[in-house]
Amino acid sequence: MMKRDFDPQVKQLLDGELTLADLPAELRQEGEEALRLLAAVDREPVSLPAVTWRVMAALERRRQRRLAWLLAPALAAAAALVLWLGRPASPAAPASSAMVTVRFVLVAPGAHQVSVAGTFNRWDPSATPLVRSGSADMWVATLSLPPGQHQYAFVVDGVRWVPDPTAPAIDDGFGRRNSVLTL
Amino acid sequence: MKRAGRLVLGFVAVAATALDAQQSIAARLSGRASAEIVALVQELGRSAASQGLPVDPLIQKAIEGNAKGVPAERVASAVRLVFAQLDTAAAALRSATHNSPADTVEIAAGGFAITAGLRGRDIAELARTGRPAADVTVGLRVAGTLAALGVPPAETVALVSASLRAGQAPGDLLALPGSVQSEMARGATPAQAAAGLARAAAAQARHGPPADHGLPPHPPAPPHP
Amino acid sequence: MHAETGGPRGSTDGEVVRAVLAGDRERYAVLVERYRDRYARYAARMLGSTDAAEDAVQDAFVRAYDQLAQCQDPNKFVGWFFLILRNRCFAEQRKSRSHLSLEAATSVPTADRSDVATETGEKRRALQEALLGLTAEQREVFVLKHVEGLSYMEIAERLNTSVPSLKMRMHRAYDRLREQLREHA
Repeated sequence: MMKRDFDPQVKQLLDGELTLADLPAELRQEGEEALRLLAAVDREPVSLPAVTWRVMAALERRRQRRLAWLLAPALAAAAALVLWLGRPASPAAPASSAMVTVRFVLVAPGAHQVSVAGTFNRWDPSATPLVRSGSADMWVATLSLPPGQHQYAFVVDGVRWVPDPTAPAIDDGFGRRNSVLTL
Repeated sequence: MKRAGRLVLGFVAVAATALDAQQSIAARLSGRASAEIVALVQELGRSAASQGLPVDPLIQKAIEGNAKGVPAERVASAVRLVFAQLDTAAAALRSATHNSPADTVEIAAGGFAITAGLRGRDIAELARTGRPAADVTVGLRVAGTLAALGVPPAETVALVSASLRAGQAPGDLLALPGSVQSEMARGATPAQAAAGLARAAAAQARHGPPADHGLPPHPPAPPHP
Repeated sequence: MHAETGGPRGSTDGEVVRAVLAGDRERYAVLVERYRDRYARYAARMLGSTDAAEDAVQDAFVRAYDQLAQCQDPNKFVGWFFLILRNRCFAEQRKSRSHLSLEAATSVPTADRSDVATETGEKRRALQEALLGLTAEQREVFVLKHVEGLSYMEIAERLNTSVPSLKMRMHRAYDRLREQLREHA
């Protein structure tokens, strides 16, 4: 097919510098063809609502990979949290090769004694006591745990089993909830 | 004669292993469960061992019930439920891998995912991603964790299977629940958060990992017009 | 869920950029929310699909975050962000020209995913495919003028180039589009 360029005046028409009426009669048809081209331009707006949290999630994922010890602001206000420390820097490293240091924190106003019990210590409420830290209401304990899945709960004053309010939780089969830690 | 000898030795070895397993269950539950619970776990443990199911989750549930002061009959129900969940997970994994038996670690991960609210077909779907068993195991744990965060099964499976198919490393899979929690903290529902991450993982599978972030801040010079 | 203080959604771009640089990472979401759609259509027309645009806009925001300290005038964040997104779109074009046109056939136009394959829908589809046959530079000037509705002067300012140079680029684009649409017809 022979290549045919638009006449320079038709290009001015497309640029909005001339109108169809300004074109000489012999260029009208070409001008109409050109305007049909512009009429096919899709100016429908495009909205990308998912981008906001996709961006923030991408930044968050990188932050989690890069930082060894960080209290996420969103979690700081929560009652309890678990910090993951010492995950192998390279995600390709064999998962079983490194213990993961986990810090358990519970804010328990009025408690006299707090411990954490779970699959990692045979659910023994006396095995892993938390100690007061900073504020009188904050209790902490740091453990090294193997990669894998762990279930746990806090035990307040030796009798009250409390799931971690910031962690995922499942039914324990006894009418309560167990918190879940996946390392 | 030699063959018969080997058979006898084999039988003795199996019997000794079974006996060891029973003694091991009794030892682990010693002082941590009533006699009837010990007997129940031994009985279920025998079935579990013969079917290739893990025994540890049964022992853990019995110990947990005792530690929480739960009545024995309720502990027995909970232990039986764990057995049923492991059995469901194992069947799902077998169905997805043309009857090749799964290892006990993978089954335990599947059992947990069932406890967290996934179904057998969800487990099978994740196993059908064609990834190595070790990756599927991590995927199942992460899927269970997402379900425990309130992500519905369909979105959980979509996200984890997309991530597995994208070839994400275990470390990246393990970061998914944290990412979902971040989005929830910003007001997304668990389903919305998971669906968006799934789209990102699917895009990664389509286009490969995101390009290097080291490009110059200005576009390439256009060719001379 | 945490309470926002000081009405960040009403803050200027400069205030938000400075807050993010000072460590308030979460505030970056304000900028993303504010500008994610402004150039979404530009990216979609440049890349040929909404999916590709979403990836590009996301990536550009992550890049902008990484380079935020280099944003010399925080009050002009959006112009600076546009250049990063533009760079991303050009890079994508270099990377996968064939892939783009393939995807264009199935998922480009937003309006014509609908039920009826109307004549308008067909024409839009044909034009979008023809646009993907232009060079990225030609396509960009066409998109900015005829999709985004900017004048040559505004485009020249934004891309730091001259009006005559843009016109030459555009006029080549017109000829190329005419040629391609005739082949298509």
